[in-house]
Order: sequence, then C-alpha cells, then structure tokens
Amino acid sequence: MNVLEASKIQKSYGNKFMKQDVLMGIDVSIERGEFISIMGASGSGKTTLLNVLSSIDRVSGGSIKIDGQEMTKKREKQLAEFRKRHLGFIFQEYNLLDTLTVKENILLPLSIAKVSKEEAIMAFDSLAEELGIDEIQNKYPNEISGGQKQRTSAARAFIHNPSIIFADEPTGALDSKSASNLLNKLSDLNARRKATIAMVTHDPVAASYSGRVIFIKDGRIYTQLNKGTESRQSFLKDIMKTQGVLGGVQYEH
Amino acid sequence: MSINQMILRNMRKNLKNYYLYVFALVFSVGLYFSFVTLQYDPGVDNVETSAKMAAAIRTAAIMLVVIVTVFLVYANSIFIKRRGKEIGLFQLIGMTKGRIFRVLTIENLIIYISSMLIGIFVGFSFSKLIQMVLFKTTGITEVASLNFSAAALLQTVIVFFVIFGVIMLTNWIFIKGQSILSLFRATSKTEGQIRNISILEIIMGLLGLVLIIAGYYVSSKLFDGDFSVMNELLFAMAFILGAVILGTYLFYKGSIRFVANLLRKRKKGYLNINDVMSLSSIMFRMKSNSLLLTIITTVSALAIGLSSLSYISYYSAEKTSKQNIPDHFSLADEQNAKQFEQELKESGFDFYQKEFKVLQANVVTKEILVKQQSGAAFDPSEMVLPIISDQALNEMNAAPDEAIFTGYSKVLASVISFDKEGLIQIEGKEKVIDQDYLGLENDYILPYSYSDGGLPTVVVDQTTFASLQEDIDEEVQDEPLTYFGFNLEDPSNLSEATDLFQSLSYNDDEGRSSQYEAFLQQKENMGLVMFIVGFLGLTFLITSGCILYFKQMNESEEERPNYTVLRKLGFTEADLSRGVRGKQLVNFGIPLIVGLLHGYFAVRSGWFFFGTEFYTPMLIVMGIYTILYSIFGGLSIVYYKKVIREAL
Ligand SMILES: Nc1ncnc2c1ncn2[C@@H]1O[C@H](COP(=O)(O)OP(=O)(O)OP(=O)(O)O)[C@@H](O)[C@H]1O
Ligand SMILES: [Mg+2]
Repeated sequence: MNVLEASKIQKSYGNKFMKQDVLMGIDVSIERGEFISIMGASGSGKTTLLNVLSSIDRVSGGSIKIDGQEMTKKREKQLAEFRKRHLGFIFQEYNLLDTLTVKENILLPLSIAKVSKEEAIMAFDSLAEELGIDEIQNKYPNEISGGQKQRTSAARAFIHNPSIIFADEPTGALDSKSASNLLNKLSDLNARRKATIAMVTHDPVAASYSGRVIFIKDGRIYTQLNKGTESRQSFLKDIMKTQGVLGGVQYEH
Repeated sequence: MSINQMILRNMRKNLKNYYLYVFALVFSVGLYFSFVTLQYDPGVDNVETSAKMAAAIRTAAIMLVVIVTVFLVYANSIFIKRRGKEIGLFQLIGMTKGRIFRVLTIENLIIYISSMLIGIFVGFSFSKLIQMVLFKTTGITEVASLNFSAAALLQTVIVFFVIFGVIMLTNWIFIKGQSILSLFRATSKTEGQIRNISILEIIMGLLGLVLIIAGYYVSSKLFDGDFSVMNELLFAMAFILGAVILGTYLFYKGSIRFVANLLRKRKKGYLNINDVMSLSSIMFRMKSNSLLLTIITTVSALAIGLSSLSYISYYSAEKTSKQNIPDHFSLADEQNAKQFEQELKESGFDFYQKEFKVLQANVVTKEILVKQQSGAAFDPSEMVLPIISDQALNEMNAAPDEAIFTGYSKVLASVISFDKEGLIQIEGKEKVIDQDYLGLENDYILPYSYSDGGLPTVVVDQTTFASLQEDIDEEVQDEPLTYFGFNLEDPSNLSEATDLFQSLSYNDDEGRSSQYEAFLQQKENMGLVMFIVGFLGLTFLITSGCILYFKQMNESEEERPNYTVLRKLGFTEADLSRGVRGKQLVNFGIPLIVGLLHGYFAVRSGWFFFGTEFYTPMLIVMGIYTILYSIFGGLSIVYYKKVIREAL
C-alpha cells in the first residue's frame, strides 16, 4: 500500500515575468515501510521536492496524497495539524532547539499529540536506547557532537511513529564514521519499526543504505534504482555509475 | 570598488538594520533638545522662581544626558553585533581593523548627523508642547511662545558629539577584541553556555530574596522612630539601597532560573509548546540578562518612586495647605482684623470669624517621650509650644488638670513620638503647672507659623489658661497673641477674597496667613518638581521600555531558526504566538512588578514628608507606568509574530 502518492508535481519560483521552473511534472509513490533516497546534482530541485512532498512548501501544480489525504488542497492550519501527527523531519542543521535538552527536544512531537506523560517517557526510553543517546539526554545541543545531534533529531522524527519521515541531507554535516553510524540506525529503525523514510542526499554511500534511489535532473525524474536483493556494496556501485552518467562526475571509491 | 562606494552600498543594504538605531537617535536628540530649549527659554526665565527652576532643569538635563548615553550605547551595541558577520567578511578579504573602524565611523557619522537634524526638528516642535505642559502644571498663566534658541542648539550638538565619541569608543573596543571567527559567531556566542543549576545558584537566589525582603522590612521601619540618630538613618538608607539592588540582581540571576528549573524538572522532559516558547527560552537567557534587568528595574523603581512622591505632594497641595493654615485667612493684629472684617462685609462675602488668645510656654515633655531620642535638631524633652484654652474650641474639652495635644505634623511625629498618656509640666514665669497628658488629636487649629512648623498645639482648661496668662515668661514671649481667623461660607469665592486680602497686604502682621496663597505656592513649587521628575521618569520609562523592546527584537531574530524547526514539526503560528505571549508576560512583567514593588516600598517609607494622600496619586502613577510598559510588551509581541510568520 502506498503511503505517499504524488503525481505531476510542478513547482516554480518567481512571478509571471521572471518564472523559474524547478519541478516540472514529477510522479513519486512511496510504499509503507520503504526507505527511499532522492539524488541529483546541486540545484536540481531535491530540497524543493522534499519540501513540497512534506507540505512545508506549496506546489504550483499536481497532487500529493499522504495516507490517502489530498495535501495540496489543505489550508495552512490543517497542514500544520497533519505534519504534527503524521510526519517526521530530520534536517541537515538547525535541527534542534538550543534552549531545550536532548530529551525535551525528542519529546516535543509527543506533547503536541497529547500523549500521556508516562507513555511518552516509555517511548523515549526505548528509542533512546536503540539510538544510543541515553547518556546525553539531559545535555543541551551545544554540549553534544554533530553525530549525537543528528541521532537526536532522528529520535525526534521517530518518536511519534509518523506515517513518513523526511530527511534532507541528514549526513551532510557528519564525518563518514558518524554518518554510517546514523545510517545504520536509520535502516535499523526502518526495518524494525516499519517506518517509511524519504531521504535527500548527495552521498551515494548514504543512498546505498536505502531500498530505492530516485534520480532527478532538470526538474524531472531521470531514473530509479531498486536495491532488490542486491548487497549494499553492489547497489552502491550501481548508484555511482548512474550518478556518473547523470552528472558526468566520477566518484573514486 | 572604492571604499566610498562600498560605504554607500552597505548603508543602503543595512537600512533595515539601521531603523532601530535611527529611531533611538531621533528620540534622544528630540527629547534632549526640547528640554534644553526649555532651559534657555525667556518665558521660563520670567517665572518668579527662575533661579530655582533653572537649577532644577539644569540638573535634570545632566541626568537626561546620562540616561540618553546609556540608551544610545546600548542601541548601538545591538546594532553592531548584528553586523558582526559583515565586519568579519571585511576582515576576511583583508581589511585592517583600523580601516573597518574608519568605514564604520564614516557610515555612523552620516546616519548620526542626519538623525540629529531630524531629532532637532522634532524636538523643536515638541518643546512647545512640553512648555505648555510645564506652565499648566505649575499654574503659571503665560502664553507658550516658540523660540528657537541657538544656545540650546549648540549645547545639543556638543553633547551629542561627545556621546558619538563614546559610541565610537565602544565600537573600537568591540572590533579590537574580536577575531575573524568570533565575529562570525557574534550573535550566537553572547549568551554563553547553559549549565544545570548549581547549589551556588540556589543559594544566590535565596540570598537575593532575603536581601530584598530585609530591605523592604528596614524601609518600613525607617521612620517609625527606630532610627532616630542621623547617622543611623543614613546607614539604614544606604543599607536599603544596597540590599534591594544586590538582592534584585541575585534574584534575577538565581531565583528565576531556579523556579523555572523546578517547574521544568517536574515535567520530566515532556514540555508543551508554551513551555518551549517561554520557560526554556527565558531560562536560557536569564543569566546574561540579569544585569540589564537589574539596571532597568532599579531605575524604573527610582523613577516610579520619585514621580509618585512628587505627584503625592502635588496632589495633596490643597490638603497640605489646609493643614498648614487651618482657616482661610488669619491675622494677629486687632486693628487689621477689624479692617479686614469690614472689607469682607463691604465686598459682600459671607463669612464667619474666630477669635482666641494663644500663649507660648515652655512645656516639659520628658516623661511622655516614647524613648530617649538623641540626634534631633533640638532637645525634645522640653519645647516651646502654643497653648490655647479649650473654650476656643467646640471639639475639645479638658478638665483643669488635663492637657491635650493636637495638630502634630506627621513628619515631626516620625522623628519625635509621644506616649499615649503621661505627665507634662507647663512652665510659667513663677509657677510650674503639672498636667495629665491625654493624648494626641488630629485637628489642626493654628497656622504653621504659630507652632514652629508643625509642633503640636496644647489645649488646656480655661482656668489653667487664665493662670498661665497671669504668669507669662517674658523670655518666651512678651504678650499673648490674639488669633483672628476668617472663613468664607462659600469656599468657591476664595480666589476673589484672597485678591482682596492681598490688596490689603498686612505684611507687618506677624499672624498673617492665607490658605489659598499657600496652596498656590505649594502647587507652583511642587508642580515644577513634578514636571521635572515626571519628565525624567517618563524618559527613563520610554528608554528602558525601548531597551527591553530592542532586546526582544534581537532575541526573536536569534530564535528564528527555532521557530522554523517548530513550524516544520507542525506547530501553527497561533501555537507559537500563544507561547510568545506567555514569554513576554514574564519578560516585561517581572521587571515591571519588581520595579513597582520596589517603588511602593520606597514611597511608603517616606511619603508623609511630601503630602497627605498616599494611595490615589501613587496608584495613578503606577497605572500610567503599567500601561506604557504594556504598550512596549505589546509591540514586542507584534514583532515576534512577524518573525514567526516569516520563519517558514
Ligand atoms: N525560495 C526560492 N526562491 C527562488 N528560487 C529558489 C528558491 N529555492 C530554491 N530555488 C531555486 O530552485 C532550484 C532548486 O533548488 P533546491 O534547493 O531544490 O536544489 P537542491 O537540489 O536541493 O540543491 P543542493 O543539492 O545544492 O541542496 C535552484 O535553482 C534554486 O535557485
Ligand atoms: Mg538542498
């Protein structure tokens, strides 16, 4: 069953006279429990696509359905309400509120959903253990490392069991060790909790952790790669190959 | 691109950042210029009390400069921090600090001079208004004419160039002390790290509360007679000031964070949106804000206290003059009294008259003093008091061996207080008469001039009075005065009757007094004080309100990324705005409430020196303060809402 179904999404910036088309008719559908990556050259519209899919930005045309609900017709307030309950987010930076402790940051989405305190704290405890952030729960964001920050935002994205989690370059600011640590945790959570994840990334290694990669070029879907039963290593090679064709840039590995 | 081009381009780009600074400048210059214009105004010079008034205005002008300097330096510091990134960039492309400073100075100078011109224009227009207010409050009827004063202009220009120098100095220190890296981080670094609450902080917070309460306690005892020696009194005042200010600082630094932390701990990490917007954000900043908040609170308390006191005296001018001069008119010379009676009749006023004798005699009050008090200006165990017979009054009656004190001023009572009863001796030339002292009444019977400025009048039985009259001590007085009091049946005619009284002059009459004259005098004196203090108080309020507002503007910009995250997570604008309202209630409410409390205790400890009405004038002043503060709070919420709206 599809969690997300988007068809013919268009997005343009500017006004009538100075129009820049960024997305020009994109069809995406994501199944429940899937972990997909979106790749493409810089400026190709990845962030724009993610923002549009996640209702942070509005489309210029097309339709987006999440859990069977049409998103493009909703009003701002209804969208906010929907995000609160059904969506999770991980961003490259500016993720955490620096005025809140790690624990408080993570529990934020639950306090909106009016979950009881006991349940919330139970949910936190199990997730914190899975992500290895038990010891830092009472620290403030400026007292922890980048990797710990990203694991914290991952925990916040997962805590309320959203229908789908959007991540924009979650490993962008991390070294490769912290990045693979985070990605391992993400795919673990994806497998164990049947969480749906849509991730934008530059990094083929990061993309290789997912089950499907969508390549974007010039506002259109260029191609898609499915991992299927392949190993991660060979999937990574495929991704790099495609990326080479797409951008003319070869990654040495 | 030449430096000049760069300066111009930068200025155009920074116009949005500048507007706050420009506003602060225009406001300050306008205020100062209008005030100085007043100082040089010939209309004000013509006022009878010109020397006093000029001196008062000059003092106020100096205080104004201090306030304005602090205000502008603060506005500038916010402004330069905002531009930290830009300065860092200049450094990165190889400009020296000296060069950057020069660019900044030129830029600043252009802004400064243009704002000053606008400010002077605004101030000039505004000064007429102020002048009218001044004449209104002092009751001087003079047409406010608008005079442009070159001297005022020169003074304003000089003062603001000196302030400009100070601002440039702070900018230089700022630029000098920064490396490229720290400049990039200028806005985020200032708040510093937050740690968990330490025991030390808890102790600090509690100590702060204890100090404040101690200060309040001592202030309430200040004039109860416990501190009667002058040195003790001064020491107590210094203690109050020190304890309250230090206490406020510690309170902000420790208690608020401590209380907030307790609230937060109880939530076990499960915060709702209101907590996130207010509680955590306030805690995050309270430590670095506490000094600023202390300064704002202290000076607003000062301003509230002073304006309340002066308004109390202004407001009670009528009552005070009634206390000082109980009858509408009084005279001591029989000839004069007869003539005045005649004149009143001829002019058709309805009135009634009083006539009784007043003796002065030495009274030994040693045994009814509350305790041995030293340090007063004279020895209170023995004093010369006016004595009247109970026959002169309907309200009081004394048996032959009894005496009643009446009309003792509260100010003196705070220094020398009497027991409820006891034994006193009234000394004639030969005899000493023992009397039972029956207590103190509140009726004021004799004018100030009879009672040495507020000492009680002694009421005795007619027989006692007669025997004292026989036995007059020439060293105290030659012969008893006769008191003639006149009261109009219809007080609304008082003004005309006073004109008549004044036209007859009676300046040689030692018992001459006129209630209405005293009222006008009081009003004129207090009106001036009130005007100046009110002006300063208002200025301070506006500047401190502005500083709080700027601070909040800055804070909201800093928290913008947080709002972005929260909105992405699905909190609506309305959710966030609700939280912000709570936060601003605390940010503006706490300094206001603490300031009001400080002001209240300050006023309560000594208000009776200034007048007879306490609650009404004080509450009016406090009400105005609260309203103005709320306006600034409201403005900051509007700004926050804008930031929140634009955050996504
Ligand atoms: N708010 C905006 N207003 C105008 N144009 C925009 C806006 N946001 C993005 N664009 C334009 O849309 C295009 C796609 O931007 P987008 O941020 O989606 O790229 P991206 O694929 O995420 O790039 P990167 O990998 O560098 O993050 C770019 O050409 C950009 O200039
Ligand atoms: Mg992007």
